[in-house]
Formats: sequence, structure tokens, C-alpha cells
Amino acid sequence: MRGIPHVPNAEGQLRSARRLAWISIVYIFSTILMLFFVMAGSQALKTEMTGEFLSLIPPTLFFIGDKISRREPNERYPFGYERAVSAGYIGAAVALIGVGAYLLFDGGMKLATQEHPTIGGFPIVGQVVWTGWLGIGVLLWSSIPAFFLGRAKRRAAETLHDKTLAADAEINAADWQSAAAAIIGLIGVSFGLWWADAAAAVLISLEIIHSGWAELRTAVGDVMDRKPQDVLAKKDEELPQLLTDFLRRQPWVDDVIVRVRERGREFTAEAHVVPASEDRLVDRITEAGSKAREIDPRLASLTIAPVRQFPEDVAKARNPVPAD
Amino acid sequence: MRRALRPSTALILGSSILAASCGLPRDPEKTSERIASAHELRVGVSANPPWTDDSGAVPRGIEPDLARRFAATMGAHVAWTRGSETTLVQALKHHELDLVIGGFDKKTQWSSAAGVSQPFTRDADGKKHVMLAAAGENRFILALDRFLTAEKRRSEASA
Repeated sequence: MRGIPHVPNAEGQLRSARRLAWISIVYIFSTILMLFFVMAGSQALKTEMTGEFLSLIPPTLFFIGDKISRREPNERYPFGYERAVSAGYIGAAVALIGVGAYLLFDGGMKLATQEHPTIGGFPIVGQVVWTGWLGIGVLLWSSIPAFFLGRAKRRAAETLHDKTLAADAEINAADWQSAAAAIIGLIGVSFGLWWADAAAAVLISLEIIHSGWAELRTAVGDVMDRKPQDVLAKKDEELPQLLTDFLRRQPWVDDVIVRVRERGREFTAEAHVVPASEDRLVDRITEAGSKAREIDPRLASLTIAPVRQFPEDVAKARNPVPAD
Repeated sequence: MRRALRPSTALILGSSILAASCGLPRDPEKTSERIASAHELRVGVSANPPWTDDSGAVPRGIEPDLARRFAATMGAHVAWTRGSETTLVQALKHHELDLVIGGFDKKTQWSSAAGVSQPFTRDADGKKHVMLAAAGENRFILALDRFLTAEKRRSEASA
């Protein structure tokens, strides 16, 4: 199938990833709805609710990306549609930073103007309960299931090499931290410490900005064809080195430069080869190309270009990264 | 549905009783403590008949009556201050008043400057009527919300 790595369980993982994304969307909506009712005058809960709205972006992008990236290449989009996800992801990351900055400002202003959060009673089942206690209950609901949801998504993200899903998993896993901050803020307010609420809101907004920044770096790097990175650990993938070693071992290859790029869930690679002999060159290139795909199921294509000497720009791919 | 609610209801009630026994939530500016020790609830009244009527020697109307009964639940009497909405809300902000009444509804323009209570009734236009308290005095506001909600439930039950 197009757009997913050729690993045995990919289809199953994709199905479970879709199911997880649906569960997330329903779950996040339930949290937003409950937070809306118990928000009262709490800045921390308002910030948490905005954070929940933002965490709707990754699962939504996952669905859109999943649909668009499967389209077949055509005359206008000769390389296919896999990059649509990366483009969407940059937008989402920018939104994350923008909203985080707004919330930081909002919370900071409340601290500066010493605004005391009003959290009163909430009529429920024939009683009137302090809304802050209900808020803590909702925060627990917004954090504990999210933790397990995040863990399940990490597994699927790894197999599918899906960055949207990986980012989604990271956001779920980080949700408990912001919920914990908000809970501490509400407990602080219950002890009469009015500033605890806005202070928690500031912490949560910093966390939103921080994760937005991390996502933006990854997304921009992908679009710029940075050397591929592992979706979770964000370490360099081994694939470029494996491909280089594989081609070097071929008796007909004198020297090779391999450049790999990430295209959505897949990799495409380009190898400039200086052949040792031109004997049966086309056959040898075709054979090496199809064997190379066995190295990594995520490698969608390998283009091998035989050259007498490396083009100037290609040769620069061996330069070390300049220190800035 | 009711059966499913029970454990969570028990948890909510249990923890709020526990919290209440520890005196939580507390008022940052100690409104409840001051009322308890001075036996005085400082109420600002802005004229808005039939909710408030300050033409007589003491304020009359639906809301002044409620304020008196609320004060009584705390063993306090009411000290009245008359004025415009703006001056009263300012006084509330500076903790010179505890409560302001004047026929405010839930969508009042003062919601960012003061703490808005739970509604105690719904008028003919469907507007939910509320009182204003000093922002962030959550123990005091919770007591007010309990009193007004009980009032609302009683009037709805008799209607």
C-alpha cells in the first residue's frame, strides 16, 4: 500500500493508530467540555483548556495527512503527496508557539495586576461543591488516560515512522505535567494563595511554548531535507550509513555519496556512484536498487546516478556541519 | 445512570466534606474570618427596583431581604452602603465591601472586576439574577453560592 512502510504489521498498526486518533479526539472533547463547566475564574484551568484544544491538532493532522499522503503522484505533484503532513505540521507548531505566548502574557498579567481568581460553588446532585475540587477531578481525567493513550501511540508511531503520531504521543505524555501544575495551582488557591493559579498557568504556557518550539524544529528540519531522524529519540537514523556501506561493498562501485530524505512516513534516497567499471552498468544499478530496499522497509525508492566525478554540490554533503 | 454516578458522587461529597473540615477553600483577604469576628456583613446597594429599593430608611426589596437572611446564617447583621454600581464595585475591589446587590444578571459587565455568585432566580426574560462579591474570596463566595442555590431550589420547588 502507498504511504506506509512495507513492514509485516504496518496495516494493523495503521488501523490501531487510526482507532487511537479517534479515541483521542472524543476523549479530548470530553475533557474540554468538562473543563468548560468547571473553569470558573481559574486561569490555570483556562490555560489547560486551551492546551486541550491545541492537542486536538495532532490527531486531526494525522487523519488529514493519512488521507492526503496516500494519493498517487500525478503530473502536477510528480513526487506524490507525502509532504502534505510536514507542511501542516509547521502550521500547527507555529500555532502552538503563538497560543503559548498569548497564555504566558495572559497569566503574567494576572500575576502583575494581582488578580484574585474567583472560584465559587457548583450546584451538583442536590449539593453545592467548591468548583475547585471538581476542577481537580477533571484534571485527573485529562491526565491519567492521556498517559496510557500516549504510550500506545508511541508504539504505532515507531512502526509507521509517523511524526504526527509521535508528536501526538509526546503531547499526551506531557499532558500529565501540565495537569499536575494546574492541580497544584488549584490546591494553592484553596489555601488562599491567589497567585498559585496564575503561576501554574504561566508554567503550563511555558510547557506549551517549549513543545511548540521542539515540534517546529523537527518539522522545519523535515521540510529542509535534514538527515533523517528517528521519530521518538530524534537521533540520526542509521539508514544513510547502511546504504553507503551496502553500495561500497559492491565490486563495481568505486565511491559513493548517499543522500536520504524523509518524505512523510517513508524515505527516499539518492546515491551518486562513481563506478569502477561500466560493464553491465544498467543491470547492476537496477539490481542494487531493488536489493537496497530490503535494508529498510521504510525506504520507498533509491535512485542511483552513475557519475565520473561527484557534482560539486553533492560532494559538499560530506562536509562537517559548520559551527555557528 | 443514577447507579453509575454513585461512587463518584460519594467521592466528591466525601472529599468536599473533608476539605471543609480543614477550612478549605480559604479567603486570600480573610473576608469570612472578618465577618465572623465583627458580626457584620458590609453590603453595597445600588437602586434597581424591584430587586433593590433604597428609597426608605433601610434598603428593601428581594435582594436586601436575601442579604439580611444570608448575614443571619453567619450570625452577622448588615451594614448598608448606598451608591452607584461603579463606586460600589470599586469599594468591593478594595475590600471595603463584602457584597454588592443591584439586580445584576449573570452576564453583568462587572464579571471581570468582581466575583459573580450563583443565580438565585430567573426573571420573566429568562435572565439569571446574581450578586457580586469581592473577587477571589472563595470561602465567602462558596457560602454565598450555597445560600443562593438553596434559595433558588426552594423557590423552584414552591413554584
